[in-house]
Amino acid sequence: MARDIVKRELTGAARWRLFLWPPLLLSAALLILPQASFVWMSLHKNLGMGLVSPGLVPDNYLRVLSDPFYLGSLWLTFRLSLTATAIGLAAAFPTAYLLARARSRWISFLIVLLLISSFVTIVVKVLGLSLVLGQEGVVNQFLEWIGIVAEPLRMLNDETGVVIGLVQYTLPFLVMLLFSVIQTIPASLEEAAELHGATRLSTFRRILLPLALPGVIAGALMTFNLNMGAFTSAVLLGGGKVLTLPVVIQRKIFLDVDYPLAACLATLLVVMVFLFNVAAALALRRTRHPLRTP
Amino acid sequence: MASVTLEGVSKVYGRHPAVNEVNLAIEDGEFLVLLGPSGCGKTTTLRMIAGLVEPTQGVIRIGGADVTALPARKRNIGMVFQDYALFPHMTIGENIAFGLRERHLDEVAIKRRVSELLALTRLPGFERRYPDQLSGGQQQRVALARALAYSPTLLLMDEPLGALDLKLREAMQVELRRVQRALGITTIFVTHDQEEAMSLADRIVVMSEGRVEQTGTPEDLYRRPASAFVANFVGKVNFLAGTVRSVTGAVCTVALADGTVVEASARADCSAGAAVRLALRPEHFRVVPEPSGAAKGQICGTIEQRRFLGNVVHYYVRTKGDLPLLVEQAGAGPVLEVGERVALSWLSEHALAFAGGERGGTG
Repeated sequence: MARDIVKRELTGAARWRLFLWPPLLLSAALLILPQASFVWMSLHKNLGMGLVSPGLVPDNYLRVLSDPFYLGSLWLTFRLSLTATAIGLAAAFPTAYLLARARSRWISFLIVLLLISSFVTIVVKVLGLSLVLGQEGVVNQFLEWIGIVAEPLRMLNDETGVVIGLVQYTLPFLVMLLFSVIQTIPASLEEAAELHGATRLSTFRRILLPLALPGVIAGALMTFNLNMGAFTSAVLLGGGKVLTLPVVIQRKIFLDVDYPLAACLATLLVVMVFLFNVAAALALRRTRHPLRTP
Repeated sequence: MASVTLEGVSKVYGRHPAVNEVNLAIEDGEFLVLLGPSGCGKTTTLRMIAGLVEPTQGVIRIGGADVTALPARKRNIGMVFQDYALFPHMTIGENIAFGLRERHLDEVAIKRRVSELLALTRLPGFERRYPDQLSGGQQQRVALARALAYSPTLLLMDEPLGALDLKLREAMQVELRRVQRALGITTIFVTHDQEEAMSLADRIVVMSEGRVEQTGTPEDLYRRPASAFVANFVGKVNFLAGTVRSVTGAVCTVALADGTVVEASARADCSAGAAVRLALRPEHFRVVPEPSGAAKGQICGTIEQRRFLGNVVHYYVRTKGDLPLLVEQAGAGPVLEVGERVALSWLSEHALAFAGGERGGTG
C-alpha cells in the first residue's frame, strides 16, 4: 500500500520531469548543430563559387596554422580581448566596490541605469562612441581645451578604438557581477583589517581581493569570451583595419565566399576560447576556494 | 597600556546627534563598560575611539596623545567585533597573525606569538583550522586572540558576547576578565545587557540618547542612581508617583497619589510641592501580612501573583491606583499566599525621589 503511494508519487515527479526534456533538447540542438556543422564544413576543401569537395581533408587547418596572417589575426584577437578585459576589470572593481559600500538610496537607481544600459544594442553604443571619440568629438575637444594634446588624437579606426568599444560593451555586466560579489563580503572584515594595522592596499590585497576572487575570475572569463567573439565593435570602431578573427571570418564568408576556411577559423576561435576557460578553471581549482565550506 | 580621554566628543548624522558632548576619562588598566539601550550612542562612541568613525567635534586622547585625526591602523588598538569579523579565507593561525604580519615581524616571532595567544585563549591545536569549523565561543576567543596579538595599548569590544547562549556567555565573561587582568590592558566594552555590565566592569558608563547619564562602579549605579533612567536601567525598580510635602535635611515626606504619606531620601532637586517619582528596589520592601490598617508610612495592597524562584520569592502586589509593585523577599522566610492583604514599608534611605513624577508601577 505504502509502496504503491511512493511509486505513484515517483511517477508523478518523473512525469513532471518530462517537461524539462523539450527545452533541454532544443538548447542542445541549437548549440550543437551549428557548431557541428561548421566543424564538419571546416574539413572540406573550397572549390569556389560556394561549392565544397565531398571528401574530408585537413587542408584548411594546415593552411591556417602555417599562414602568419591568420595566426597574427588570432594573436591580435587574443591580445585585444585580454587588454579590454584587464581595463574592464580595473574600471569595474572600484565602481562595483563603491556601489556595494555606499549607503545611499540612489544606489538601486544607479544599478537600474546600469542594467538598462546593458540592454542597449551594441550598434547604438558603438555609434555613440564613434561620435564621442572622433576627430571633432567631445573627448578631443576637451583634451585640446585643457591643452594636453595639440592635435586631435586618433582613437577611431585602429586598435585603441576597438579596445574602448569592447570595454564599453562589457563594463555594465562586469560592474553588476562584481557588485553582487562585493556585497556578500561584510564591511566589518575591512574594518577589522584596518584596525589590526592594515593599509588600504594591504586590506585590498589580503582581504577584499581573495574573497572576491571567484567573482573576479568569473567576470574576467565572461568578459574575455564576449571580447573574443566581438564583431560589431571590431568592425565599426576598427574601421575595417583591425582584422580580428571574427572580422576575418565575416570577410571569408561574404567577400571570398570560402565557407570551409571561415568554418575552420571559427572552429579555431571556439577551441581557443574553450581551452583558455578550461585552463583558467584548472588554475583556479589549484588555489583553495576563498569562501570555502567544510 | 594607556589611559583614554574623550573631551566634548560629538557625532552628528544629518541633523541627528548620535553622540552629544560626551566627556569620559578611562584609567590605565581599567575595564570600562559603555551601557545603554540600542541607539544610545555607545557603539558610535566606541567606533570613534577606534577611529572607524570621525567625530563631528571634540578631542580623543589615548595615553595623553591627541589621536582624533589619526587613522585607525596607526592607533594600535585591538578590537573584537560583534560578528567577530574573522577572515574566512584564513586559518586561525593566519587570523591571529594578521596584525603581526602587517607590522612586518619575522616569521619566527610571529609563530611564537601565535602559540602564546592560542595558549592564553585556551585554543591549542586550532591553528590550522578555519573559522567556519569553530563554534561561536571558539570564534569569539580567536577574535580576542587576534585583537591582542600585537600587544595593543587598548582593547575595544562591541557586544562580543551577544550571539552566545546564556551559559557560554557567563563562561566567556569569566574568561574575559581573567585575560584582561592577566594582561592589565585598558578595555572598553559595549553592551546593552546590564547584568553583563555589572559582572564585568570596574566602572560603568550609562548612556542614553547620545549623552552620559552616569558614570560609576556597578555598586554606585545600583545604590546611588543619578536619575530615574539609571535606576530603571540598572537593576529592577518600582516607581511610585507623589508630591513632596516637606524636606528636612536628608529626608523628605512625600504624599503618594492615594494620599498615603511616606518618607524618602531627599535629593538636591527635591523641594516642597514638586512632583516626584519614588524609586524602590524590589528587595527593599518589608512585607507585613494581614494588617489591621495601614500604619504611618505604609502602603497596603493585595498579592496578585507569586513566583517562587528558590533563593527569592517575587510578589506582584496590587496597591490602590498604581500598577502592581514587584516585591522581592528571601526564599527562606514564610511564603505568603495569592490574594492575601499585605502592608509594605521601607527605610527612607531606600526610597529615592526623582523629580518629574507621573508614572507609577514597575519599571
